[in-house]
Amino acid sequence: MGTSKSRASTKAAKSAPAIPTRLVPEKTFVLDNGAYTMKAGWACDPSVPAEEALSHCVTIPNAIVKTRDNRIWTGAQLNTHVTDWNEAVFRRPVEKGFIVNWEAQREIWDQTFFEEKATPRNKQLRIAKPEETTLVLTEAPNNLPVLQRNTDEMVMEEWGFGGYARCLGPTLNAWNDVNALFGDPLTKNDAEVSPKDCLLVVDSGYSHTTVTPVYKGQPLQRAIRRLDVGGKLLTNYLKEIVSMRQYNMVDETYIMNEVKEAVCFISNDFTHDMEKTWKANRKREDAQSVVVDYVLPDPNANKKGFMRPHDPLLHAKKKKGALSGLSPEVLSEDVLVLGNERFTAPELLFRPSDIGMQQAGIPDMILQSLSVLPPGLHAALLANVLVVGGNSCIPGFMERLENDLRAITSSECVVRVRRAEDPFRSAWLGGSRFASNREELGKVVITRQEYQEYGSGWATRRFAGLV
Amino acid sequence: MFRVELLANTTTHATPGYTYVADRGQAPAKANTAPALGRKRGINNAGKGGDISSRRANAILRHLAELDRENQRDVSIPIPARPAREAGARVSRTKTSSNVRRILVSQKTFRNHIDDEDAAIAAGGGGLSVPVGAAAVGPVIPSRVKAVAATGLAGSTAGTPRRSSTPTAASMTPAGAGVRKKRGSTLATVTTPSTPTPAPATTPAPAPATSEANDAKREDDSQDHRHKILKTEHDSDPLLHSFGPTIPSERIMDRLLSEPALSYHASRVGSPLSTQLPRSFCCMCGYWGKIRCKSCHLRTCGLDCYKVHEDSRCGAFF
Repeated sequence: MGTSKSRASTKAAKSAPAIPTRLVPEKTFVLDNGAYTMKAGWACDPSVPAEEALSHCVTIPNAIVKTRDNRIWTGAQLNTHVTDWNEAVFRRPVEKGFIVNWEAQREIWDQTFFEEKATPRNKQLRIAKPEETTLVLTEAPNNLPVLQRNTDEMVMEEWGFGGYARCLGPTLNAWNDVNALFGDPLTKNDAEVSPKDCLLVVDSGYSHTTVTPVYKGQPLQRAIRRLDVGGKLLTNYLKEIVSMRQYNMVDETYIMNEVKEAVCFISNDFTHDMEKTWKANRKREDAQSVVVDYVLPDPNANKKGFMRPHDPLLHAKKKKGALSGLSPEVLSEDVLVLGNERFTAPELLFRPSDIGMQQAGIPDMILQSLSVLPPGLHAALLANVLVVGGNSCIPGFMERLENDLRAITSSECVVRVRRAEDPFRSAWLGGSRFASNREELGKVVITRQEYQEYGSGWATRRFAGLV
Repeated sequence: MFRVELLANTTTHATPGYTYVADRGQAPAKANTAPALGRKRGINNAGKGGDISSRRANAILRHLAELDRENQRDVSIPIPARPAREAGARVSRTKTSSNVRRILVSQKTFRNHIDDEDAAIAAGGGGLSVPVGAAAVGPVIPSRVKAVAATGLAGSTAGTPRRSSTPTAASMTPAGAGVRKKRGSTLATVTTPSTPTPAPATTPAPAPATSEANDAKREDDSQDHRHKILKTEHDSDPLLHSFGPTIPSERIMDRLLSEPALSYHASRVGSPLSTQLPRSFCCMCGYWGKIRCKSCHLRTCGLDCYKVHEDSRCGAFF
């Protein structure tokens, strides 16, 4: 790519013959740009085991945060610089899974990937020469064409990557070693990385939950379905009901997110669990298994929040105050008592109608997705349901999904539901393996020269598979 | 003066201020027959059916929008100014193209973008014709894909946010006219029961229909025979015949894969297939909501919670 230094010289690009100079840069950077976190790193050899490959992948919060003391932190700084999360407010460039605000996104990318000085710390993430790098960027399904075009223009014109591929995040999971996960025999030798034939990817993330049937590494677009319930909605819902019943937590998004991650579970017997947490049953033995206390973090005393079993006696004593003879630490701590909140909040993934949302839960969504596909594919897809995304880590999620799906599908079908080994970075890992298959990668990548010749409208249509 | 609202149930409590909503059990047929009585029937059932009033529907929409927020308050967080930027750290920073500048200054939210998209679709453009400039520069779109795109767009612009199963099944057929005719009829027989579950597709019940369809397919593309590697005399044995649906042929898969993406709204999941009764919960403690407040229609689980609700939370007055 001799002409790549001067970006504006489209003349030079046009005079060059189109086909023989199609150089896709050798080094590939894979970026799974999620709404909550970005998963990024250099693609590595597929022969190394998954754990080692994942050590190349770094998770960076994709947000700009203003803390209580009016200081602003960006991206990776959130992990290191912020200790007091009370009343922190967030600005996220990604809305509904799509990059919308490029002003913020550029700032985060610049700070994370394009630092001018190479330090040992940013070695894994620094893209020194974008023009000699192929970028594999993920996007959520059913993006708006306007936003796709904005993305293409930013990637190619602001940073000028040498090669660029924008692909659906869920489809990349098919390139992982899914056969081992499902316990299938390995049919081929590992000489070349190839995608799984049929895979149904359920991606339950921060903004939404999507179902994507993937056939040989490509999405079946007509069957992609989206449920507008994601981690954000669950956190907000939990925040709302806790604020209504106990402390006012409406400004504590981050803390409630931690509470959610610590205490929430998905009930496999909703009615029974509900009875257990009824206030008249609270004192019984079996209620103790569900009701828990969450001690809120105290940044002044440098204490983190944690969960502990509910103790009604301690609670009664605390109400009496100093008379009860408890230690001042116990008296000063703020405790949320969480009963049915623990399972009614994540229940929305399976019953969105509980808050009046006119959308089907995840098992129903899978059926709706399958209903527009040829019946011959149903069995193969149902036997290979892969779950990725943060919500799949909620305890009980996998069992509930498998049970519910089993109950509503025909008995002839085998239903196998598996969670990816690393549900957060599964798409990244798949992207890394995909990048090692140069032939397949070459089919989807556009080079910088092509972009300069045909423009962004062409690029958008190219990625849409129309060209 | 309090008004007693009668529900189709023998155990109605005529109580001032709230209504005891009897548990209607899990039979949806019974639940739907409960008549809505009263003066406000018109408001309560404004085109919705069921017991969701238009007021309630609006409240739900507001609530969902509330749950979708990033922060509770509207805040604007500026991009922090970094000294490195002023120093002109990166070369490309000095030269930004007009596209980049336009994108960076745009403060549009996703809501704005989706409204634009809706307007474009309503104006007949549709999502995929959005690329404005440079459209003439690129290589030509193959006409085959164009046709698929056209049908896809026609489906999405027709105003149905969710595809029903029948039209998609029809558009799924391969291009050959003869095949379309045959398969169209067989598919119609398969899908006319219009049961919400795809069970008929996977059970061996529609065996004659599918096998007929398969015959039609086999006539058309001979490559289907390819996977029959071993031929034995038992192949025609009716007892060993498998009635399961066959894997679709390469050609069908190619066409499926080359379809354009659905629009954002079209890909949203529809309402539940299985008829589940809506559950309602106590707005105070989260237990089952058995009592409905007459003034704001929120549910509570019992008199304890209702009293608290009435004293402190019930803000509705109409």
